Amino acid sequence: MKLAGLKSIENSHDESVWAATWVPATETRPALLMTGSLDETVKLWGSDELVLERTNTGHSLGVASVAAHPSGLIGASASLDSFVRVFDVDTNATIATLESPPSEVWQLRFNPEGSTLAVAGGGSASITLWDTATWSLVATLPIPRPEGPKPSDKSGSKKFVLSVAWSPDGRRLACGSMDGTISVFDVARAKFLHHLEGHFMPVRSLVYSPIEPRLLFSASDDAHVHMYDSEKKSLVGAMSGHASWVLSLDVSPDGQALATGSSDRTVRLWDLNMRAAVQTMSNHTDQVWGVAFRPPGGTGVRSGRLASVSDDKSISLYDYS
Amino acid sequence: MACVYIPVQNSEEEVRVALDQLPRDAADILDILKAEQAPLDLWLIIAREYFKQGKVEQFRQILEEGSGPEIDDYYSDVRYERIAILNALGAYYSYLGKIETKQREKEEHFILATQYYNKASRIDMHEPSTWVGKGQLLLAKGDVEQAFAAFKIVLDGDRDNVPALLGQACVEFNRGRYSESLELYKRALIVHPSCPAAVRLGIGLCRYKLGQFDKARQAFARVLQLDPENAEALVALAITDLHTNEATGIRKGMEKMQRAFEIYPYCAMALNYLANHFFFTGQHFLVEQLTETALAVTNHGPTKAHSYYNLARSYHSKGDYEKAGLYYMASVKEINKPYEFIFPYYGLGQVQLKLGDLRSAQSNFDKVLEIYPDNCETLKALGHIYVQLGQTEKAQEFMRKATKIDPRDSQAFLELGELLISSDTGAALDAFKTARSLLKKGGQEVPIELLNNIGVLHFERGEFELAEQSFKEALGDGIWLPFVEGSEKFQEIDASASVVQYKDRQLFHRLEDSGRNVELPWNKVTPLFNLARLQEQLNNAETASILYRLILYKYPDYVDAYLRLAAIAKARNNVQLSIELVHDALKVNDKCPNALSMLGELELKNDDWVKAKETFRAASDATDGKDSYATLSLGNWNYFAAIRNEKRNPKLEATHLEKAKELYTRVLLQHPANLYAANGAGVVLAEKGHFDVSKDIFTQVQEAASGNIFVQMPDVWINLAHVYFAQGNFSLAVKMYQNCLRKFYYNTDSQILLYLARTYYEAEQWQDCKKTLLRAIHLAPSNYTLRFDAGVTLQKFSASTLQKTKKTADEVRSTIAELDNAVRLFTKPHLEAAIREEQQIRQRQEVARQVALAEEASRKAEEQRKFQLERRKQEDELKRVRQQEEHFQRIKEQWKSSTPGSKRRERSEIDDEEGGNSEKKKRKGGKRRKKDKSSKSRYETEEAEADMMDDQEDLEDEDANLNYREPTSQNDQDDAEENAHDPLAAAGLEDSDAEDDTAAPSSTTVRRRRAWSESDDDEPLERQPLSRENSPELRDSDEEVKDEGHRPNGLDAAEDED
Repeated sequence: MKLAGLKSIENSHDESVWAATWVPATETRPALLMTGSLDETVKLWGSDELVLERTNTGHSLGVASVAAHPSGLIGASASLDSFVRVFDVDTNATIATLESPPSEVWQLRFNPEGSTLAVAGGGSASITLWDTATWSLVATLPIPRPEGPKPSDKSGSKKFVLSVAWSPDGRRLACGSMDGTISVFDVARAKFLHHLEGHFMPVRSLVYSPIEPRLLFSASDDAHVHMYDSEKKSLVGAMSGHASWVLSLDVSPDGQALATGSSDRTVRLWDLNMRAAVQTMSNHTDQVWGVAFRPPGGTGVRSGRLASVSDDKSISLYDYS
Repeated sequence: MACVYIPVQNSEEEVRVALDQLPRDAADILDILKAEQAPLDLWLIIAREYFKQGKVEQFRQILEEGSGPEIDDYYSDVRYERIAILNALGAYYSYLGKIETKQREKEEHFILATQYYNKASRIDMHEPSTWVGKGQLLLAKGDVEQAFAAFKIVLDGDRDNVPALLGQACVEFNRGRYSESLELYKRALIVHPSCPAAVRLGIGLCRYKLGQFDKARQAFARVLQLDPENAEALVALAITDLHTNEATGIRKGMEKMQRAFEIYPYCAMALNYLANHFFFTGQHFLVEQLTETALAVTNHGPTKAHSYYNLARSYHSKGDYEKAGLYYMASVKEINKPYEFIFPYYGLGQVQLKLGDLRSAQSNFDKVLEIYPDNCETLKALGHIYVQLGQTEKAQEFMRKATKIDPRDSQAFLELGELLISSDTGAALDAFKTARSLLKKGGQEVPIELLNNIGVLHFERGEFELAEQSFKEALGDGIWLPFVEGSEKFQEIDASASVVQYKDRQLFHRLEDSGRNVELPWNKVTPLFNLARLQEQLNNAETASILYRLILYKYPDYVDAYLRLAAIAKARNNVQLSIELVHDALKVNDKCPNALSMLGELELKNDDWVKAKETFRAASDATDGKDSYATLSLGNWNYFAAIRNEKRNPKLEATHLEKAKELYTRVLLQHPANLYAANGAGVVLAEKGHFDVSKDIFTQVQEAASGNIFVQMPDVWINLAHVYFAQGNFSLAVKMYQNCLRKFYYNTDSQILLYLARTYYEAEQWQDCKKTLLRAIHLAPSNYTLRFDAGVTLQKFSASTLQKTKKTADEVRSTIAELDNAVRLFTKPHLEAAIREEQQIRQRQEVARQVALAEEASRKAEEQRKFQLERRKQEDELKRVRQQEEHFQRIKEQWKSSTPGSKRRERSEIDDEEGGNSEKKKRKGGKRRKKDKSSKSRYETEEAEADMMDDQEDLEDEDANLNYREPTSQNDQDDAEENAHDPLAAAGLEDSDAEDDTAAPSSTTVRRRRAWSESDDDEPLERQPLSRENSPELRDSDEEVKDEGHRPNGLDAAEDED
């Protein structure tokens, strides 16, 4: 497996690009890349040439996360001011504005069926679930407080929830916190199941393997990527190699490769069978905040694509094969 | 059968005497000779016959009788025969004298010989044979010049006189005039072709001396043809054989030597050579016997020297250096001119070196070198001596020469490399590499130590791939290989067990259970440790941890491996595990200063101040206060304590600062080049407001640190930036902060971003300030202080926009939006506070108040907007805005006054929230950093410090809150600082400053840098351990291992700092 650079867009945004995700193809158009930036805009990019399709404004204080509905029709973006804007991808018509208390919104993810939007609840130490039909709050899944001898007064900030991930079957939700713990929830029963330990620094990105529903990958500031069996509560593997924080990760649609973006300005491709880095891309000149594999499907596009976005304001697109 | 006939007197009859049947009693024959008045030539013949048969006594008896006064009377007219008899006796005594070893008897023989010759001369002073005899006698006595005169007399009369020719040839030989000697021998041979074999021996020797070895060999061979029993020719031939330096030649030579020995067992030369041979075959008993015999049979200086040398060597090789030394001395004493026989000097030098008498050894090696200026071994030996005498440069000179002369001497390159490690790692590496390739070319095994050192040098130069290759080569195949190559799969473990993963060694038990051979030879521990260090460097912490655990599995006392594992755990913020690992290390050695230092850092990180201080003290005590790291840590501790107590107890603060300064200064006194101590001192100075001095210090430290790729001191950058900031040089401060962030932190440090934002704020660059704060929030979303600061900034920005005399509606609109955002941001702390425990109530109230105020402000702003829209007067707006500001100011005021009163604990939390804005805090934070770094030189402990700092910063932040200091007041301070300048310099920092100042401006940096890099233990890069390691003698493996360990650790340390 390998990555080959296809296209890079310098100054794609006016400021650091903080988030990226692919909007799945619809019947009328191929997949789009959606990026969010400190410049308070969300942009949509089409084709291998990364043609700018639209610039969405309306956020203030920087866009920290973007998410796309599996149908490819709906997008969501969240900014540091704790607003989540839900919009029609093709028209940019606002569908809903979800307001949360300050600093209680971080990462967003739609579940595989598209019925629910999970929002990492930041300082609320919980995940909030929103119904995508009514855009009402369905549930709040709080992370249980550690029952230590003296509940530290800082625990609130330590449990700040940064990242969230749905299992491919939609039955499990995992979230990562500032203190490094990963919490796994049973979605159907809205119940906390257990913690996955191993990190002691913020877990900024989580993703389940598309082919092994129990396999969860975590990216942490400790420069490691962990592989957990989220049901058995076991650490299956630990991969080191980045020189600084691992900010984001994504698993390829075939489940064979993992891409990570790091503060060390590189994108790494990992072979999951060998559990070793097989390639390091150093085209970015600043922290790489987001990596995303393009989901399969769409009109005639077979080949894999990986996108990465960075503090250096650029977007890079790679061919993955 | 030869016989002589003695004519019977007065008759025709003769007495027939069979020469092989001479009577045992010479008196019988004497009677006949006397009775028959036999011709004197018969006397001589018979005497000679006795001599030939070895019956020396009879020979002497007859000749003495034949030269008595009676004979003189009787045969007075028979002159020639009388002379012949006298000469025969003279020659006999000459010979006796020659071979006699006892001085007195020797003299007596020579006197007798002289008497006989003189008597012969009295009969006929022109008789040539007498002169020849005299010449021989003089030769035997060593009186070469007189002998020359004697032979000359003969040769002047008869230039073909063979004996004289031979005599003269001998004289010339002894005078070292070999070609003249050769001519004389040749003439003798021409005149008398059938002369004895010995003549050809002379020719051979001349040829040999003239370097015509082939012709010499021919001559010797001819001698042996003529006289197979000629021991001297055999010895000579043997020597030429030996000199062929080939195995067959040597064997043949030794066979000949042996035969010569059998023929004549008292030839000293043969004995020496045989001894020499048996020395090489290791039969020391024979060596001693033969040499002792040789010493007994010769008085010849050079030969004795050789014999003593053989004995000395024998003892030398047996390790009896005392005796060897004595015999070498004896040998040296026999030598007049060292160039004739230099070996004993070399041996003596070796023995003296061994016995530690470096000076004498040096002088002996110097002598060898005078004669063989290009002798590699000697050059190396001298190089070695100079190393031990501390004259490194001279040592290098010699080693370099040795390597130049023999570019294939791997040992020389190895030693050269070791010498260079301390001064020039690049050259050292080259030397090591040459040694390696030489060894490889020679098919020899490359020592693990060499490969390890090459690896370490590559490592230090940042050539990680080459380093890895070298370490792997040193390690060869083994259980570690699959781990390094990643083919060994990670073993699944329970997630909760993963927390203590770095302590787990079950892995290896399982491997063993599954039939794998888990072995780790002791001599591979060091390269394995270094390889693990390298893996850490390459960010493969997982591989590294497995290798460290493998070391511990086999060698559970290997402290450094525990510490490295602790460092990895610490880097991943697993403080608990890190502490456990350090405790494991302390179980091995509870006085290990490195482990104690690290423990202290960890305790600080856990906010365990009292414990930390005790631990640092223990670390310091464990090294009798010589451990700079421990001292620096204590200094930092005091500094932190001072900062922490700042607002509450000025007295205490001063005490702690003073103490910190004292500790930093102490380290500087011990190690004037300690970057961290200098940094710490700079911090204390800055803390007291002496910015100019501290800036100088920081600048120098920064320069020094950047001159070395292993020392990374981001703290000093931050400190410099703080100073620039404090002096109002915002653009420089910004640059410095940005560079530091990028260079050392991959832009991930939100604290520095906060400093940066603060600078922008002060510079009134609102947009930059906002963006910077947002970046910080993005990095550290749970740090509510940042949000609060962002809110303040937005508000300030709005105020400034609204205050502008001209503004567009858009501007105003966006300003209002910003104010909204500000309000939202302010809300956060409020909620946060609500979530917190009651202890924070007070704080919360304040925040709430603030929020209320802010809301009020925003309300006003909204009104303003209306006004604007309605195109109302701007003055009103302005007023309101001003009001807003005043409110805000008031809030700040309130905040200020309220915070100090709150309890420490509370404060710290509060600070977290509020921290960003106060300059003071920031500055302090920076300083702390500086200090932290200072201590880092050692292990990862350093990292711990960094962490520590962070904590402390938090603490500081508490105090800082919203007190914006007025720029003016700062300026005042600056002035004050300047005044304080000199006293300051006088106070603590003189060491470093003074040094630098005195240096010529141009060279300053260079010099300083060198000084830094040379600096002692504290510096991570110390090379001493390395060189020690390398030294050819086998050290205790443990020691070696440790040394190496340190080095890499040192490296880490540098890195860890970031």
